[in-house]
Amino acid sequence: MANFILRKAEPKDVSDILRLIKELAKFEEMEDQVILTEKDLLEDGFGDHPFYHCIVAEVSKQHQSADGHVIVGFAMYYFTYDPWIGKLLYLEDFYVMKEFRGFGIGSEILKKLSQTAVRTRCSSMHFIVAEWNKPSIDFYKRRGASDLSLEEGWRLFKIDKQNLLKMTDEE
Amino acid sequence: MDFTIRAATLEDCKDISRMILELAEYEKVPDQVKITQRDLEQDGFSKNPFFHGIIAEVPEHHKSREGHTKVGYSLYFYTYSSWKGRAVYMEDLYVMPEFRGKGIGKALMSKVSQLGLAAGCTQLNFTVLDWNKSSLDFYLKQGCWDVTSDLGYHCMRCEGDALEHLAQGDL
Repeated sequence: MANFILRKAEPKDVSDILRLIKELAKFEEMEDQVILTEKDLLEDGFGDHPFYHCIVAEVSKQHQSADGHVIVGFAMYYFTYDPWIGKLLYLEDFYVMKEFRGFGIGSEILKKLSQTAVRTRCSSMHFIVAEWNKPSIDFYKRRGASDLSLEEGWRLFKIDKQNLLKMTDEE
Repeated sequence: MDFTIRAATLEDCKDISRMILELAEYEKVPDQVKITQRDLEQDGFSKNPFFHGIIAEVPEHHKSREGHTKVGYSLYFYTYSSWKGRAVYMEDLYVMPEFRGKGIGKALMSKVSQLGLAAGCTQLNFTVLDWNKSSLDFYLKQGCWDVTSDLGYHCMRCEGDALEHLAQGDL
């Protein structure tokens, strides 16, 4: 197969990024949860203080997907902070289209992210995985990732907008 | 009891550092704190801060047994959900034991929510240790839900040698 390149996402990529976000969400059976729009991605990723960073994997036109796409994988990440150890790189989304798997694209993306983490002096890369997603868990564990929920008992919590408003009203 | 909630400043880093250690001791892992007061000053108060802080302060006549008036804090930063967009992550929330039960924790969390909503965030995320029953109960009462329990999401981490190997492309 195909050569591919990895590069920083540009504003013109937001349509493909949203397409891939939705494909990943569909795989997680959460497609209806995606309310993000191209406009949000544009504003939030390419202004003065971006909320996220993105890498995309691109193939040449002759190797485009069955649907005619050349952007075939992506990773969305941002920097977080642990008051005990400092800066961290948080991997929000990481996905390669099914027909382009097995060619090392995922491994290269992860390598690039790790290089970014090391270069920016992050102590660690964090992300979440659904416990039923065995192939992904194995992929990450093979690369030395540890499961903090299992090993240290961390549980991820969330408060949605409705309850956030309620909390601020009660003041 | 009177208390004020305000944004943290550079001068607060000494007390934030003290309270980070107290929180780590409460979580039974004080030896894991590598970040110093100086790191906090650099990482939180330079041009592109990696986190933001809120402080709870009491008047002089209510100071702690050891003479502290800064009795609680929260550290937070902005993140991004590929489904919903802008989000706020509450990394630490802590109130000194002798000042608990007075609504300070709730007020700190409410402030983070207000700031998050003002910045266009639709969710507040954080993690809690599974043995921390009093905190779990407090958060569930605020309308939070446990994403790890309900959706099976596990928090994963890749650090140290594993991160270095990943960056070098070793498997």
